[in-house]
Amino acid sequence: MDGILSGVKVLELAHAPSGAFCAKLLADQGADTIKVEPPGRGDPARHEPPFIGGEPHPDRSTTFLALNTNKRGITLDVEQAAGRSVFLRLAAAADVVIESFRPGALTNLGLGYEVLRAGNPRAILLSISYFGQDGPYAGYKGDELIAQAMGGYLYAVTGAADQPPMGTALQQMELTAGRNGVIATMSALLRREQAGEGGHIDVSVMEAAIATPSMLIHPYSYTGRSPRRGNMDRNVVDGMHLPTRDGEVTLTTAGTGGRPMEVWAEFLGEPRLLDPKFATRQSRQDNWEELRDLVAPKLALWNNLDLMRETMAKGLVIGLVQSPEQVVNSPHLAERGCFVELDHPETGTLKYPGPGFFFDGANLMQTARAAPRLGEHNDEIYCGRLGLSNGELDRLRAARVV
Amino acid sequence: MSAPLPLESVRVITLEQVHALPWGTAFLADLGAQVIRIESVEHLQDRKSGPFPNGKAGTEWWNEGGNLAYFGTRNKQSLCLEVTRPAGKEVFLKLVANCDVVTDNFRPGTMRRLGFDHETLTQINPRIITLSSTAYGYTGPWRSAGSRARTVDAACGMSYLTGYEGGPSKRASNNYMDHSTGNNVAFALLLALYKRQRTGKGMRIDLTMQETGISCIGPAILEAQRGIKRQRLGCGHLWKAPHNVYPCAGRDRWIAITVSDEAEWTALKQVMGAPPWARDPCYDSAQGRWQHRHELDRKMADWTATQDDKELARLLQAQGVCAGAALTAADLVDDPHLRHRGFLQELECAGGPRTFAGRPFRVPGLPMAIRNVAGMGEHNEVVLREVAGLSSEEIRALAEEGVISNRPRAEERAP
Repeated sequence: MDGILSGVKVLELAHAPSGAFCAKLLADQGADTIKVEPPGRGDPARHEPPFIGGEPHPDRSTTFLALNTNKRGITLDVEQAAGRSVFLRLAAAADVVIESFRPGALTNLGLGYEVLRAGNPRAILLSISYFGQDGPYAGYKGDELIAQAMGGYLYAVTGAADQPPMGTALQQMELTAGRNGVIATMSALLRREQAGEGGHIDVSVMEAAIATPSMLIHPYSYTGRSPRRGNMDRNVVDGMHLPTRDGEVTLTTAGTGGRPMEVWAEFLGEPRLLDPKFATRQSRQDNWEELRDLVAPKLALWNNLDLMRETMAKGLVIGLVQSPEQVVNSPHLAERGCFVELDHPETGTLKYPGPGFFFDGANLMQTARAAPRLGEHNDEIYCGRLGLSNGELDRLRAARVV
Repeated sequence: MSAPLPLESVRVITLEQVHALPWGTAFLADLGAQVIRIESVEHLQDRKSGPFPNGKAGTEWWNEGGNLAYFGTRNKQSLCLEVTRPAGKEVFLKLVANCDVVTDNFRPGTMRRLGFDHETLTQINPRIITLSSTAYGYTGPWRSAGSRARTVDAACGMSYLTGYEGGPSKRASNNYMDHSTGNNVAFALLLALYKRQRTGKGMRIDLTMQETGISCIGPAILEAQRGIKRQRLGCGHLWKAPHNVYPCAGRDRWIAITVSDEAEWTALKQVMGAPPWARDPCYDSAQGRWQHRHELDRKMADWTATQDDKELARLLQAQGVCAGAALTAADLVDDPHLRHRGFLQELECAGGPRTFAGRPFRVPGLPMAIRNVAGMGEHNEVVLREVAGLSSEEIRALAEEGVISNRPRAEERAP
């Protein structure tokens, strides 16, 4: 099956998850994507635990596997002159080049946008960095937690009111920057159809963190108050997580026609919820422990999937707090075909998440390949695509360029 | 005259409420598409959602909320049209005949009930792209379930993975799912438009918040299939230490510090003034630091507690240590880096100038700024005349019958 982007060539020189995720989103839609890694250790994500099978192995990191589906992988040392000239030959044929070096590093290597453009005026260079290509923080070191902190997310969003700031699991700001990166890339591809030329795109992970909850800057500007974490900690029927028999659930007052306590009292079979002290949002917060002690035992009688089915039938809105195991084994997602199976020599077949959308009922995620092993496609790309002879490739290998 | 924007020839009609879909279509509007947001006098929640100047809704509250400017009707047109009434439905279908994309975020079934399902719209306009953004999708046993962003935060696995070390599960955010989904809406629509340029064919897109959320936790999905349990670590890391937030001087001020290698640990020790405790050999390796991370965090916190968060971050970064203050919205509005980059946008709004976050990317030739904010029903006339081809008399008749409006009904309560 051809993907929507099967005519687009992407070259990824990314050491950060943001750039790798951005390239993955394009590759999953069929873009012909080559991942360039330094010889030896490769992408640092290869060494991030945990590993399929338990023991460290550069082809078995779940982080690396998740971020690099449908790419071909080559090794290349762009710090050596011979490596740079090979890179420029690859870039001359690319539509999109994605890099995540610290600002200025690519230019210092002699691979900056002006050089790429000279060889390929239609090339789109996407630079993703923690703080953007210019400004006082451009040279700062960053990572996921620092981006959450400096992007205002850490202070305001996830944690509890009476505890220190806390972040969101996995690498959400990196992924958010990657998602913004594909929007920018698609925009640039469409613009190129009209204008004929590529351009240099600058994506900042810090700015992605600020723009993504989006409820920081303008609310402050309108009200003079900085949003702060933990604003729903005590909402038993509208935010708290409560245990069920086989998991947890979060309730809402949605779908109750403005009579939340009547409806939940009836559903749960707990008439004491009708007590006037639970009648308003404020009074429910004031008496939250008492309310929780009435609601929790009733919820604990339910299995997750039964509770979902019965509340749905009554038009009530809840959220099951599902573990990743429950997500993978969800009958709903199985029926939809959300996951695609990809085989990999080091891990066997695993189910991977799709893109989150179906076109005409089809999950468009490509199933060409799981993440590449380090240097897996060196022969195919260097000899097949660039036309190097075996001898030339051997010389590059001997010089540890490849 | 500036260069044309890439989507200037694209017309989008959107039946959208709340957050995820309006956030997604705003990108298309930024890129020059004519995005016509269809509103209804019967559902004014978004126009009531604020934030309002100084927290108070004014006399024209329906045009004053900050969320409208940031994404709700940003660079869009507003057509306040009652599509549930026969005359409104007729007008809607005339619009569909002349547009490229129709998007909605009703629960599955509503568009069909309205007579606006993909098959019907395709008969009117064979090249149409439709996108329905829902919690759980058009198929599967959960298709009719309602949602909030945080209930899907739970259902996709994100909340389960998030939490303080050793603590219970925690919702990641009230609207992270909305925004990730909105970003995915923009990506899906750009893909669809790209495809249609090549094939001439429209398509139906079924996009879900739950599956967008699942795509955010890929590693955990793989781990779950092989029995690997990922523990909750708060601001901690699976192998790095120190890697946490530490208290600073002042009320609720914090600094994040993360150490990834020996050079950074050495530099950090130097900035701390080489304290005797840090010479303990248990801190000499990454593994040792991680095993003793709680003790290490306590020692670090003693050191940071008396210092200014931003000053300390500057000092640490100057010495090659990865660090950043946990900035508040007030900090960000004054942040010199963001000011230098022109990330923040000042916009004259009802009640005075306001500040908005920009887009986190710069594409040459594509100004993604807020250019205008559509008031309620502001574009009724121009859209009905130019897109639906109605005469002035027909438009006047619709207004008299209350099928179109440009302000709330007299009995509507202010927020």
